Amino acid sequence: MPHLKTAYAKYQTDPGVAFLLVSIDDDSKRLQRYLNEMKFPFPVARAAAGQAEQVMGFDNIPSTFYVDREGIVRYEAGGSESHGDSPSRVSWLIDQLAHRQ
Amino acid sequence: MRNNTVHKGFVMAAVVVVTFVGLLAQSPARQQLARGNALWDQRLANSAIAALEAAARDRGTASEAYEALGRLYTFKGWLQDNVFPGWHDEPEYREKALAALKASLAADAARASAQEALRVAEGFAAADKIDPAAPRPEVRALDVKLQSYQTTPDAPVSDIVAAIEARAKAQADPAPYFTGAQILIDHGEYDRAIAMAQRGVAASDRFIDENLSAYRMAGKSQGSYARGRGTAADLVGWALFLKKDYAAAAAKLEEAERLLQGLDFANEFHLGELARMQRRPARDYYVNALSLAGGPAPLRQRATEALAHLEGPGPVPTELDAWLEAELSRRRDQRKAAALESLVDRPLPKLTLTTVDGKPYDTAGLRGKVLLLNFFASW
Repeated sequence: MPHLKTAYAKYQTDPGVAFLLVSIDDDSKRLQRYLNEMKFPFPVARAAAGQAEQVMGFDNIPSTFYVDREGIVRYEAGGSESHGDSPSRVSWLIDQLAHRQ
Repeated sequence: MRNNTVHKGFVMAAVVVVTFVGLLAQSPARQQLARGNALWDQRLANSAIAALEAAARDRGTASEAYEALGRLYTFKGWLQDNVFPGWHDEPEYREKALAALKASLAADAARASAQEALRVAEGFAAADKIDPAAPRPEVRALDVKLQSYQTTPDAPVSDIVAAIEARAKAQADPAPYFTGAQILIDHGEYDRAIAMAQRGVAASDRFIDENLSAYRMAGKSQGSYARGRGTAADLVGWALFLKKDYAAAAAKLEEAERLLQGLDFANEFHLGELARMQRRPARDYYVNALSLAGGPAPLRQRATEALAHLEGPGPVPTELDAWLEAELSRRRDQRKAAALESLVDRPLPKLTLTTVDGKPYDTAGLRGKVLLLNFFASW
């Protein structure tokens, strides 16, 4: 997660790139404590764990999807992938999509 | 002469200290502390926490017990990612780690080891990324000792069993039972191997139970239970095969295949050997095995040779290599596609999102942008 924060710093002012975190917590209090602690600079939404896992087909938490401008999922990085969310990897993936015509 | 007197005095003092410690060891709180520490050495987290919490309630052991809890929570919070298959860090333990170490110092401000542990934990809290813990040196040494019997065919069985027991005592994960069962099979000790594999199942189940929260997702702990039971069933099945009890072997090896979802090299190879022995179609098992990663080189070689000598319809022997290569890559692709059922190159599906306080989430602002969508949980 700290890696996402670092990567986000690069795109914070870019109107063509958005970050959205989706929590699948069912315990609102714990989530709120966690958010207070982490102070994410990007928006956070919530989804039901069962629905999210089924619809998105991930079996790892965290899981990250990179979606292009047309709304097509182009990359997926599961929680177990090493360096799946290192800042340079995150921005490499985003740049692939941002620069694609 | 003088030296001698000093020496005697030292011995006297040592005797007194030993007696004193012996008396203390009988206090219930100190017993809980010792028990908690021993359980944590074995990585039996839930029982260790319960014992250490009990010891922390006694003023005489509070400082030591809180320090031990703080170290345990530090491990859970920052150091356990993939230390055992399926384990993740548990960030909710980070605050608890700092709190426990501070409680240790509140009970005994001069406790240097707790000061050091707190300093380390605060360093972790400030850092971006922490490397997972390395195995404890004594456990690694016992692993090396056990593995040395893989290459010593004339070692006495009692030595092998002792090495398994010693490693299992040092840390409660099931690996030594499974490694040990395989070594016993290689030494022709089939009944002992079966008993060892069965103890491995019990150890595996308990180890996962004791560390359930480290798996974070129900699917991961279920996968780990199944892997432990599947590995044991395969070892038992293989030992039964070597004892020429083919019907019982088939039942166990097939049970293992269900538990391991057909994704274990050794199990597929064993099923192939059994099918060949029973003159049933075996080709698929060998090809399955070879299309999976893992498995020692000599066994992979045996699987390839078995394929070349199978009876019945199949590829022409001279074209075996090319056929096998095409077949293996086809299976790998198939498995990859099935395992992923990936969304990649497909439209982002509809998903109901709410804000943190439960109102509908408006996604209009995301349209037409490159989007990084990260699913997470606070646990």
